[in-house]
Amino acid sequence: MEKFKVKFVPDNKTVEVPEDTTILSAALSCGLYINSACGGEGVCGRCKIILKEGKVTAPPEGTLTPQEKSRHIYLACLTTVHSDIEVEIPSESRLDFENLSPQELELRLKGLYAQSEEIEPKITLPGAKEEFTHSPLTEKLYLELSAPNLEDRVSDLERLYAQIRRLTGIKVIYTGLASIKQLGELLRDSDWKVTVTLGKKDDSCEVINIEPGDTSKRNFGLSFDIGTTTITGQLIDFHSRKILGTRATYNRQATFGSDVITRIIFSQEEQGLEKLHNTVTDTVNQMSHQLIEEHKIDLNDVTCILCTGNTTMIHLLLGVDPKYIRREPYVPTANFLPVIRAAEAGININPRGLLQCVPGVASYVGGDTTAGLLSSGIYRNKDLSILIDIGTNGEIALGNKDFLIAAAASAGPAFEGSGVTCGMRSSRGAIQKVKITPRSLEVTYDTIANAKPRGICGSGYIDLLASMLRAGIIDKNGKFASIQNKGIRNTDSGREFVLVPKEKADSTCDIVISEADIENLKRSKAAIYSATSVLVRHMNLEFGAIKKIFIAGGFGTYLDIESAVTIGLLPDLKREKFVFIGNSALAGARQMLLSHEAVKAAQEIARKVTYFELSVDPSYMEEYTAALFFPHTDLDKFPSLKL
Amino acid sequence: MATQLAKQNWSGKISTLTIGATKEQGGTRAHAVEIGGEESLPFLFPEGAIPNKPRIAFEIWDVPPKDWTEELVRHYGKVFLDPLEWAQMCVKDYKAELLCLRLQGAHPDCADRSADKEAQLVGRLLKEVDVPLIICGCADDTKDNLVLPAVCEAAKAERCLIGSASQDNYKTLVASVMADGHNIIAESPIDINIAKQLNILISDMGLHLERIAINPTIGALGYGLEYAYSIMERSRLAALSGDKTVASPFICFVGQEAWRAKEAREFGPQQGIIWEAVTATALIQAGADLLVMRHPEAVKKVDRYIEELFRR
Repeated sequence: MEKFKVKFVPDNKTVEVPEDTTILSAALSCGLYINSACGGEGVCGRCKIILKEGKVTAPPEGTLTPQEKSRHIYLACLTTVHSDIEVEIPSESRLDFENLSPQELELRLKGLYAQSEEIEPKITLPGAKEEFTHSPLTEKLYLELSAPNLEDRVSDLERLYAQIRRLTGIKVIYTGLASIKQLGELLRDSDWKVTVTLGKKDDSCEVINIEPGDTSKRNFGLSFDIGTTTITGQLIDFHSRKILGTRATYNRQATFGSDVITRIIFSQEEQGLEKLHNTVTDTVNQMSHQLIEEHKIDLNDVTCILCTGNTTMIHLLLGVDPKYIRREPYVPTANFLPVIRAAEAGININPRGLLQCVPGVASYVGGDTTAGLLSSGIYRNKDLSILIDIGTNGEIALGNKDFLIAAAASAGPAFEGSGVTCGMRSSRGAIQKVKITPRSLEVTYDTIANAKPRGICGSGYIDLLASMLRAGIIDKNGKFASIQNKGIRNTDSGREFVLVPKEKADSTCDIVISEADIENLKRSKAAIYSATSVLVRHMNLEFGAIKKIFIAGGFGTYLDIESAVTIGLLPDLKREKFVFIGNSALAGARQMLLSHEAVKAAQEIARKVTYFELSVDPSYMEEYTAALFFPHTDLDKFPSLKL
Repeated sequence: MATQLAKQNWSGKISTLTIGATKEQGGTRAHAVEIGGEESLPFLFPEGAIPNKPRIAFEIWDVPPKDWTEELVRHYGKVFLDPLEWAQMCVKDYKAELLCLRLQGAHPDCADRSADKEAQLVGRLLKEVDVPLIICGCADDTKDNLVLPAVCEAAKAERCLIGSASQDNYKTLVASVMADGHNIIAESPIDINIAKQLNILISDMGLHLERIAINPTIGALGYGLEYAYSIMERSRLAALSGDKTVASPFICFVGQEAWRAKEAREFGPQQGIIWEAVTATALIQAGADLLVMRHPEAVKKVDRYIEELFRR
């Protein structure tokens, strides 16, 4: 088959691909990430590119307007290469988290993590009741062995075990052949002074690594939260118990579909599972590489990685086929995964280092919920609390130290900026706060990193909806109240409200919110609220009985509580009951990395949580339609909003 | 010892809606019709007042209906061509106390009659008969938004019941109804939540809840009657428990649904009449306050049934 060159501008990257390759896969193969929420189905219209030169074929249908077609705009996922071509990827079609400057990244990460730090049980403070004793999953132990002689003829390995047992009390120990092979020489060369790395595999213990001399102060671990949309990772020093650095990036699997279901579907395509697996491990490896480079750490001193994420993400991370998650009766291959060698999953740390995944509860309530329950401390409090993880696959957990119940609320990606006209993830240039003055309808807004606005992120949408309701721009059903209002216009696809005209935006079109967007957001908020309320009622409780509501999620840190209640996303409770905990899953993963007790606690939580399937509850649909109103059909549920 | 029946005490009450304005009330109707006002579930007289009987309105059209079944044509055929004659027939021959005029002819796929023409028709009808009127649009949102305001104005101060407002199209109609002193029909697709939401949206615009009649959308016998029944019953329970936002009387379009049933059309005249009557009586048990019907024989049967219910 003939091969052609595809040149991407302004990146100036060129790649050679066979005829008939789509532009989307050409871009992917040279490391350029084009937005594609629908997984290359030609439905979402996010992957627009501009053809500068050359011959391509594209099907006539699609979501492009005649004006766009006349400007040589094509959808990268449907357009195939038929000559050497040159293609421009406009900024709105990019997944460009990596384009943030270090300062902006820093700003964003601070925003993301400032809150979750506060709720951490302080592991470093001894004596406090709830804390976990410091016992990282992989521990380094410095040993000075007595050399053998004619009276003491115990073998090298038994000598090593005996000394470990003497110092730690650990009895069950085993060692890989590779370590045994080098043992004799290593012990004698190092004058019987060595450091062993002990890895805890459930109830046994393995000598992972043996090094000459004392390296016990150089032991590090990584914790990762593999989200459907965002991947965050931290580097932790086991010796000082400090977080050395945190990094976040997009889950580049988004190129293959924006929610878990489309990704599971994609995994069934030829090489689909492999592609998904490689994309996520590449990202994890790249991020850990950046972290250890930054802190000048030797890869061999990273001995452990702990990952959390929803059940599908963990399956994909390990390369386990997730298809049964999607099929009735929705059973995953594994909830409790054994500790394995990280290298087996394609993750680069010490070649003999360990990978532990946070145990999940069910197909749609994963390890991220377990980790969130752990770090929020709900599982050991007397008071009833709720954990609401607002994400594409929202999870809601309710309980206290006596019981825990969790449900999945498929809220959809609207609050993460997908499926809405000008939606974007919370990155640079995303509008995150909005104010509209009643009467004059003057719009003021804040963007992330104070950049020129490029779109609207979840917290921006929540604020925007609340402001539009307060200013009377939309009615309680989410329809524009009057076409005469400033900023509202009719288009072929319905009415829309112009937030920022394109002259003031970093975008080729005006930043707008349409009636269809509002409908989408309304469905998302209704899913979260109704799931929460069904769960509470299922336990024969009332919202009033709930003492604390923990809000987790990537955008939770910016969430304006008042706005979230105004639109009916969160129940109308005393505002001081709400606690933002940011990325609670990552915080939980870190606790587990640092303490075997936390691992035990997480396993206990995952076993204890009752999974509640909302779709079989007869009242769920009813609750859901009642919530499809701003704030709710039953206004008595929102007393503070009554006039 | 005599058995004591358990009695439920309700805190809520269905609102009372008056259709038609007499001379003293600023209109030209010979009488006004009150519906609603219940303080108990249907016909549980010991539990609360039921001040008004369910009422029946005869359905008439502005244009000759094309798909009405033979049995109905046999009765009305000669008057189909003139809605005024049709109205006279209902009032004089069948003693109709309410008429429901459907402006189907305004529909772009039907005769596409103009707003002016429909407004004139309403004006003439008001002169021709002196019973209160219910006026329905053609169910094409764009066209209704042109026609119904003109009709509202033509019937100003006559306190008609005008419909329908839906969740996606209610603003124009609410504004006209408010301006010209009418009542409104709020239509929801067999959904208690949407019924309630629409009432809230309408009252948010400033029209009092007391001026709304809910069209819960019904199905005929064999075509979802029990579904409509349960929605109406649940909505009533909520209203009587104190939820004012659903405490509106029900209007049920029985005729159009019953005569659509295959069983009503194809098995002889009597069966159609019975189909309409049975659908109506079941809905009366669910709490219907106002029934829009087609066949005079069916109306007679239902009238008798209502009399029986209230004879105590």
